[in-house]
Amino acid sequence: MKLLYTDVLIIGGGLAGLRTAIGVKRRGLDPLILSLVPPKRSHSVAAQGGMQASLGNCAKSEGDNEDIHFADTVRGSDWGCDQLVARMFTHMAPKAVRELAAWGVPWSRVRAGVHEAVIHGERVRIQALEGAQGLITARDFGGTKKWRTCYTADGTGHAMLYTLGDRAVAESIPVHDRREALALIHEGERCQGAIVRNLMTGELSAYLARATVIATGGYGHLYAVSTNAIINEGLGQAIALETGVAQLGNLEAVQFHPTAIVPAGILVTEGCRGDGGVLRDVDGYRFMPDYEPEKAELASRDVVSRRMVEHMRKGKGVKGRFGEHLWLDITVLGRAHIEKHLREVKEICQYFLGIDPAVDYIPVRPTQHYSMGGIRTDYRGESPTLRGLFACGEAACWDLHGFNRLGGNSVAETVVSGMLVSEYVADFCTSPEGDIQLSSALAREFLQREQAKLSRLLAATGEENPVALRQQMEHIMMERVGLFRNGAELQTAVDELRILLQRAENLGLRSRQPAANPELVLAYRLPKMLKIALGVALGALARTESRGAHFREDYPERNDRDWLKRTLYRWPESGEPQLDYEPLDVKQMELPPGFRGYGTKNIVEHPDTKARQAEVAQAQQRAPDRFALQEQLMPFRHLLPERYRKPNERLHEPLP
Amino acid sequence: MKPLIASPWSARFDLLQSLSGLFLALFMWLHMAFVSSILWGEKAFWTVARFFEGYFFFGRSLPWLVSLFVACIAALIAVHALLALRKFPASWQQYRAFWEHRQRLAHLDTNLWPLQVATGFLMFFLASVHLYDLFIAPEQIGPYGSADLVWTGRTWPLLLLLLFCVEVHGLIGLYRLALKWGWPSFGDPQRTRRILRRLLWVLLVFFLAMGLLTLGTFISLGIEHAPRAGEPYVPSGMQEAL
Amino acid sequence: MNRTLRFQIFRHHPLDPQSQPRLETYRLEESPGMTLFIALNLIRAEQAPDLNFDFVCRAGVCGSCAMLINGRPGLACRTLTASLPETITLLPLPNFELIADLSVNTGKWMRALSERLETWVHLNEEPDIDRLEAPMDADLAEQIYELDRCIECGCCLAACGTAQMRKDFVGAVGIHKIARFRADPRDCRDDAAYYEVIGDEDGVFGCMSLLGCQDFCPKNLSLQTQIAFIRRKLARQGWKKT
Ligand SMILES: Cc1cc2nc3c(=O)[nH]c(=O)nc-3n(C[C@H](O)[C@H](O)[C@H](O)COP(=O)(O)OP(=O)(O)OC[C@H]3O[C@@H](n4cnc5c(N)ncnc54)[C@H](O)[C@@H]3O)c2cc1C
Ligand code: HEM
Ligand code: HEM
Ligand code: SF4
Ligand code: F3S
Ligand code: FES
Repeated sequence: MKLLYTDVLIIGGGLAGLRTAIGVKRRGLDPLILSLVPPKRSHSVAAQGGMQASLGNCAKSEGDNEDIHFADTVRGSDWGCDQLVARMFTHMAPKAVRELAAWGVPWSRVRAGVHEAVIHGERVRIQALEGAQGLITARDFGGTKKWRTCYTADGTGHAMLYTLGDRAVAESIPVHDRREALALIHEGERCQGAIVRNLMTGELSAYLARATVIATGGYGHLYAVSTNAIINEGLGQAIALETGVAQLGNLEAVQFHPTAIVPAGILVTEGCRGDGGVLRDVDGYRFMPDYEPEKAELASRDVVSRRMVEHMRKGKGVKGRFGEHLWLDITVLGRAHIEKHLREVKEICQYFLGIDPAVDYIPVRPTQHYSMGGIRTDYRGESPTLRGLFACGEAACWDLHGFNRLGGNSVAETVVSGMLVSEYVADFCTSPEGDIQLSSALAREFLQREQAKLSRLLAATGEENPVALRQQMEHIMMERVGLFRNGAELQTAVDELRILLQRAENLGLRSRQPAANPELVLAYRLPKMLKIALGVALGALARTESRGAHFREDYPERNDRDWLKRTLYRWPESGEPQLDYEPLDVKQMELPPGFRGYGTKNIVEHPDTKARQAEVAQAQQRAPDRFALQEQLMPFRHLLPERYRKPNERLHEPLP
Repeated sequence: MKPLIASPWSARFDLLQSLSGLFLALFMWLHMAFVSSILWGEKAFWTVARFFEGYFFFGRSLPWLVSLFVACIAALIAVHALLALRKFPASWQQYRAFWEHRQRLAHLDTNLWPLQVATGFLMFFLASVHLYDLFIAPEQIGPYGSADLVWTGRTWPLLLLLLFCVEVHGLIGLYRLALKWGWPSFGDPQRTRRILRRLLWVLLVFFLAMGLLTLGTFISLGIEHAPRAGEPYVPSGMQEAL
Repeated sequence: MNRTLRFQIFRHHPLDPQSQPRLETYRLEESPGMTLFIALNLIRAEQAPDLNFDFVCRAGVCGSCAMLINGRPGLACRTLTASLPETITLLPLPNFELIADLSVNTGKWMRALSERLETWVHLNEEPDIDRLEAPMDADLAEQIYELDRCIECGCCLAACGTAQMRKDFVGAVGIHKIARFRADPRDCRDDAAYYEVIGDEDGVFGCMSLLGCQDFCPKNLSLQTQIAFIRRKLARQGWKKT
């Protein structure tokens, strides 16, 4: 048996995992990163848009600060997020961007003088701020009051991931890639590492660690089509769930993006519609104005997505070998515009569809995009129920995003949570609690258990085909746990997923190769994925309200009275999956629940909302400045690691 | 990957190889200008040959000057070839790896390289013979002497082969030099390469044509002069003076 | 009227003592918009459950899926079968350790490269992240981003004849990375330091300007220009050094 010891085992080499490892290393501990793929190939590399941080450098972000970013985030979450976490996050985001800037991310910078931009289809002239030349600039993103999204041309995620990946090499952090964490090793309520399979050789090892961090990204590929990388299968969440101790939060909160190409599911930017592109149906008819007369194609992401599905359900979709889709028509913009401003889109069309968007329509449909839910943690990133287990990035439900995340907030979350969680992890490791004797007997037990499972599968001669089962799961998720949800469909989904889970016990493999064997990999991942899928469906079925991305046709109102709470999903070792709930305390909220501002106001108020609103209004009148007000309403600074407590400097807010 | 002990000689060797190649290539252009003077007539070639023997500086021929020059060129070739040897496939595996790669890739610039290696390798022998001839008998360079050597002395097959080798090798070498050091460049790299490639073909055709014409002239002169082989050329003006 | 494609796919499992490297043939009906990503997944789902290959982003941005497509390196995920003939041969990238079938260990190679070339910004001092960031010229930032776009796919190595022969050659990817850090004023290294990591025959002076890298880089990086640039800078550095 192969046993490895490390201080901190970090499962995941995306932005979140890398930044955590660097932080841990800088605290003098030994981290080790596990990843399914070389870290720089992680899904994070695909983020194009950018990273939110309230630097306030560019003209359109003048006056921006943490407060405004905080309010945007809370509103965006439809009040489903943890406001303390959102506070810590918005305070940290500028520091994160500046650290990355120093480490090598070539953020796009402010140019001096006057330049032109297109805002709401109109050409405007913008004068750069005095003294801002050469500072990090920002672009506009949905749902934000200010231009706040820092970017590097069209490759933000790439630039960030490569910088952090290189930083990790610089700090000699070992990375074991092409390794998969199969199970967490835990004794009761204390996590002690993971059982790891080498995907090249098939060999199993036990990695024992004082603290374990899961940063494995989202679970987009439970759905047949997702904009996510195909390795985002919810494996991190699944191994946490399978401990029977750790809880997953808000799994039902899944975001869909209106325009991903068919069949590949690759995202084409919102800019297409922003510039005047329109959506058309099988008859070439522009249908959006019928549904949303005012904003048409430019209504918010979830609204457009829902309308598209609604229209396809009416039989107006275009049928193709890869299912139904609609058309995105940007031919109206003209070749010159497309080749100058939408180069990326043109390339995607050329490479993946073999079409020219200046003359052809682009086949698109709403596609799974982001997982707000994940491993439930406290503000320190630690599981409240399984000590020594931490999580961050998209894998976690740290709960920055609630029921809808803002564009640009998630890469920011990965880095910020990496910075913070690494400090808390280091504190934990150096505390008496972190200083435990790791048990090799325990490791052996877990290793044997996993080995036995694999051996059984390799010998399995059941009649179920893992590929077929997976396809059915993906199909159920798309059809019944998608954008539009209702009780009947969700119930069917739950039932069908349970059946699939049973059938998955009767797999038959055609290949008996123990080493690199994709069929085996799929076979042992399948039950894990099904368990997460079931969690999404169960959570969605139980939540009889609509909030953010979770939309119930049969319960269209947001119900703060009954549902201002977080779903917790747990699967005890022997027994049935359970849902629990964790209320959000309105009395503690810096920003009490309000109207998000889309569609018609349809909210069942929480009984405490009024009182809290009054309290906040009063405080606003008394407070001498924004810092004092914030401190009074919801103090958070004391929770931050010492080194990150200082305020952020801005052009309009110089530090002494 | 092995750790590295950086030696300044890596840079110097690379520069030397390029400089020696560049010098040789440019010398071959001059060489072409000189030998092709036969196209302007025997007198023209005779004048050029005497020029190199210092006739017009010292008032008499000093053939050992030519021998000296030939020796220098030979040394330069030796240096260049030694440096180039570093790039030759060092083992059968390397050779095979490259060859398979070449076949798979079907890529022009990749294909030019083995051509350069092969021509370089051939020249190792061919140029040696040519230079040896010139070195031991520099005085016989002249319209008839050279023509006799080419025809009666049966060096023309060698020179024919050498001509192809040196033009192909030298021009590919110059093309590669431009890409290697990034000069000259014409706007973006793709365009630069297109222009350089066109230049390469044009020059290749030009120099091969000139060379063939020259060699043909020597041959026909050689055939004509064969009965009186060994008899040197004396320009008409000189005959009277003698 | 769909074509029936004939895939010839390299199969080998180095860890299985019984496995022999071979090409296996699979037939698949083509559908509109079919990419090699779709095709390979269909083959795996329906015909060869144990077929190994690597895709991650399947959008042409992560660099996982490079392979030899009819002999030439490219990203499989963004290659439409419509752009290929009826018979499609797929081989793993050479140069890298074979894991199985079409899957190779590029990650290990790239990590070693990164360690060898120290491909990170070498800082003089830790930044104060509470303060305004140091300004940088907007054009310079764009230029660095342009140099930062490499996705470590390995196509340039697979397209490089030098890399086929010399396993330790850092390739265009390595030289280009040095260009990226050299352009970055935040990196405090000077040319002497860069020379230490890349000034040898496995580094920039090993490149023979075969330019397969330039022609097959899926990100269209200006490798030719950057290699020439680094060569000039480091040749000067090597020349000066005593
Ligand atoms: C097309 C697209 C565009 C986006 N654009 C933006 C944007 O502009 N702005 C923004 O803020 N957000 C954007 N996002 C979201 C953002 O990219 C992700 O949320 C974020 O990158 C997630 O990072 P991560 O580090 O949490 O996880 P990932 O980057 O997904 O990394 C997960 C890591 O975990 C490893 N792993 C997984 N399972 C295991 C296991 N069992 N064992 C070992 N290792 C494992 C993987 O190998 C990988 O290294 C976008 C998302 C998509 C799909
Ligand atoms: C006689 C023996 C010769 C041999 C064995 C030889 C071999 C080579 C080889 C192998 C190269 C390629 C090196 C590389 O790719 O880095 C080369 C380059 C070159 N050769 Fe030669 N060569 C010879 C003679 C000549 C002659 C006579 C000329 C002049 C016409 C010449 C001109 C060049 C040039 C210009 C280059 C390019 C230099 C560079 O890439 O740095 N060579 N030679
Ligand atoms: C100092 C050096 C040199 C001198 C003085 C010299 C001189 C001559 C002379 C006099 C001829 C006429 C034919 C003969 O006499 O054989 C000739 C022809 C030729 N030489 Fe040289 N040469 C020199 C170097 C070289 C080199 C280095 C090469 C090639 C590597 C070369 C290639 C040829 C060729 C191909 C011909 C045939 C004529 C033609 O077709 O252009 N020579 N040279
Ligand atoms: S330089 Fe181009 S071909 Fe080479 S690894 Fe980078 S992206 Fe791939
Ligand atoms: S193909 Fe190879 S030899 Fe140089 S120019 Fe490119 S690295
Ligand atoms: S799968 Fe990422 S580049 Fe092809």
